[in-house]
Amino acid sequence: MSRRWFLRKAFGMLLTMLAVSFLVFTILELNVDDVAVKVLGQFSTADQRQAWLQENGYTAPFLLRYLRWLGAFVTGHWGTSTYYREDVLTLIAPRLAASGLLAGAALLVIVPVGLLMGVIAGVREGSVVDRLVSVFAIVTTSIPEFASAVFLTALFVFWLGWLPGVSTMADGFHLRELVLPVGVLTLYSAGYIARITRSSMAEVMQSPYIRTARLKGNPLRRVIMRHALPNALITPVTVIMLQIPWLLSGVIVVEVFFAYQGFGTLLYQAALNTDIYLIEACTMVSVVVVVLTQVASDLMYAWLNPRMSFGSSGRAAGSG
Amino acid sequence: MSEPPARAAQWLRTNDGSRLHPAVEPLARDALQHRTDRRSVLRVLSWLGVSIASARGVLGMPAAGAAAGPAPRRGGTLRFVCSVQQMTDPAATTWIEASNLFRNSVEFLTYVDSDNVTHPYLAESWHPSEDLETWDFKLRAGVRWSNGDPFTVEDVVFNIRRWIAPGSKSPNRTTFAAITAIEPLDELRFRLHLARPVCSLPEHLYAATCPILHRKFEEQGANWPRNPVGTGPFQLTDYHVGRLAVFKRRPGYWGQPAYLDEIRYLDLGTEIATHVAALAAGQVDLLYRLTISELDLVERFPEMQLLTEPSAQTLVMRMQQDKKPFDDIRVRKAVVLSADREQMLRFAYRNYGVLGEHHHVAPFHPDYFRLPPVKRDVESARRLLAQAGYPDGIDLTLALGNTQGRYEQDTGQILQQNCAEAGIRLSLQVVPAAQYWTIWDKVPFGMTYWGHRPLGVMVLELAYRSGSVWNESHFSNAKFDAALDHALGILDPHERSAAMGDAERILQEEAVMVQAYFPKKFTVAGAHVRDFRADPQDYYRMDKVWLA
Repeated sequence: MSRRWFLRKAFGMLLTMLAVSFLVFTILELNVDDVAVKVLGQFSTADQRQAWLQENGYTAPFLLRYLRWLGAFVTGHWGTSTYYREDVLTLIAPRLAASGLLAGAALLVIVPVGLLMGVIAGVREGSVVDRLVSVFAIVTTSIPEFASAVFLTALFVFWLGWLPGVSTMADGFHLRELVLPVGVLTLYSAGYIARITRSSMAEVMQSPYIRTARLKGNPLRRVIMRHALPNALITPVTVIMLQIPWLLSGVIVVEVFFAYQGFGTLLYQAALNTDIYLIEACTMVSVVVVVLTQVASDLMYAWLNPRMSFGSSGRAAGSG
Repeated sequence: MSEPPARAAQWLRTNDGSRLHPAVEPLARDALQHRTDRRSVLRVLSWLGVSIASARGVLGMPAAGAAAGPAPRRGGTLRFVCSVQQMTDPAATTWIEASNLFRNSVEFLTYVDSDNVTHPYLAESWHPSEDLETWDFKLRAGVRWSNGDPFTVEDVVFNIRRWIAPGSKSPNRTTFAAITAIEPLDELRFRLHLARPVCSLPEHLYAATCPILHRKFEEQGANWPRNPVGTGPFQLTDYHVGRLAVFKRRPGYWGQPAYLDEIRYLDLGTEIATHVAALAAGQVDLLYRLTISELDLVERFPEMQLLTEPSAQTLVMRMQQDKKPFDDIRVRKAVVLSADREQMLRFAYRNYGVLGEHHHVAPFHPDYFRLPPVKRDVESARRLLAQAGYPDGIDLTLALGNTQGRYEQDTGQILQQNCAEAGIRLSLQVVPAAQYWTIWDKVPFGMTYWGHRPLGVMVLELAYRSGSVWNESHFSNAKFDAALDHALGILDPHERSAAMGDAERILQEEAVMVQAYFPKKFTVAGAHVRDFRADPQDYYRMDKVWLA
């Protein structure tokens, strides 16, 4: 793991940000008139919209506007949201923290549940437990989040009356309000991790060194914990790391359904309201999150498998 | 009322003690002799500045909500699920939800209750000239703005001039196009000069875009939430678009103080089932809107109060007359003749509503005129299409945004099937709700939701008068404009309705729109929310609401 590797990663991230930001700007350019409609309202006249676009610099040439935005963004001036009427930077920070909280809580449940189910099923391949875990995993990963959100709400809010129906955290943090969104995310994600862990674990359990360890008289528990698990975890860890960007910016359905004021709802509102600067900023944050989790994933990979090294291609690679 | 009608009418009084308008006594007599509906007459009398108490007494109509109930309890926080939208300039607001927020802090010259009776508010009294072209208003004395300034005629002059200015971006510019001048008479009195008679002027002054803002609104940045000065019973204390708005009771309010300590408007997004879940879990107290899709769910919870009200809200599938192929009246007529209104009401809204007649005036509008029944005629539709040069049918696209709920798309799908029978291949362009409002007045064929207006003439004035700001169908017809002018100046509800018949007929004959039904309005509150009534216009004053 060299400094050069980190530099390459950072350079790759900047290049991606540049490309993505230009692409997003270009796409939004198609509807630039909509910005004025969103700001001035649907009943504003064409003259008023034109005047607003002019006043706010939207009539300047496309490339010039993009460069202006880029310059301001790099220097920390992320603009003002036309929908929320607030500074984009101050808007994003608490939303990202809220999504981080939801993602953290979800991972705290998803990872142990998924790994435990996968390990149990993988160790006893073909058993009833294995079959049950497999069926559960297939069923839960097949149900989209919006459907399980409706199902869990019907059960725990309308029928049993045990849980709150929305997770606005309007009066401060309430753990109870996290239960349903975390539940939906767990149902969707834990089964997937269980399936990956199961197949990885089953494969490792067939390896000669595990058989050797068993023949030496080591108890099964010790064989699993010391020999099988570290190797079997490599694939699930990659999958878990890939869940992080999804949990931070991709769980729009869950956040919107439970009115959770996170990064997902912010991006959703920004997109619906053609809030150009907010969409750009959210996209940039998403790129950073994706790249950072990739880096973390590579580091984790190397830690779990010391035979891995960071090659000159900038990717983690097996050294043989 | 045991007294003879001629004598009873003499007990009527105006709010300022001035002489009655000459039309008042004949109107009251007609009502007492059962020649005219009393509620319609009460409404007209309120326009003419007659004291509502005296009118109710003479007409033998008890005051609304007069039944004795438990004494209201003061205090508490009400949590109201409602979109929290931008409301920078209340006079230019485009959303009723936003107006309900600032309605807590800024007030109007008049107040129209849910029975459509106009009451004094910031204006204590008014009286029109005989020809209804000059209106004198007197403001309430002793009213102060929340910043301590006295409320005077200067504030009103600032607002009305701003509404009708040529560059005004407020829809009030169209509504009050008849006002030619506003003349201050003294600190508390002013006079409005009109180019043509408008008998319902006081009712128009309670439109969502007519709150009276402080005279220095523009000088101080023209951004109301940043400088939320008002004369009303609540003060805005916290405001985040898309999330939360908090209003607290304001000490020193000129009127009776509100019962609630605080109102918290929570924006929970557009998923109404989620709002119902929040109400079921006790996280909120009141929902702004319920759609037909959640009705069954709510009916299962006896602890929820389902509030419903007939409303002239509607979906208008209008065709732009200056865009091809709708510039050919035969194509428009073919679409209208294909539409099955009964099917749309039955399947898209489960018969909760009344049928429309393709002219946007509801049967319960006091100025509605009954025209011959509208009949579906697929054969004629086919023939018209062939005459228009489309013997093999035509491809059309209807844009819609489900801005009020999924029933919009259901209605569009029924029209699609209806049109198929006549050879019209209709495709639906469904866009996200927020996106629809960027194209509502651009698409040649679009389905637009229109909110309730108390009078048919009001909505026709806004949506179909030539050159009107909200004229999305680009309809322009001098005869129609003249019919509207005529109707606007008639006081007698019967005569006005007859005059409106001309306007309705022109809209039908010109096949401006498919307007199938007027869906009922639903909302829902927790059992502990008291004195909150569904309002056909969704205009909610919260100062009388309390929590048990």
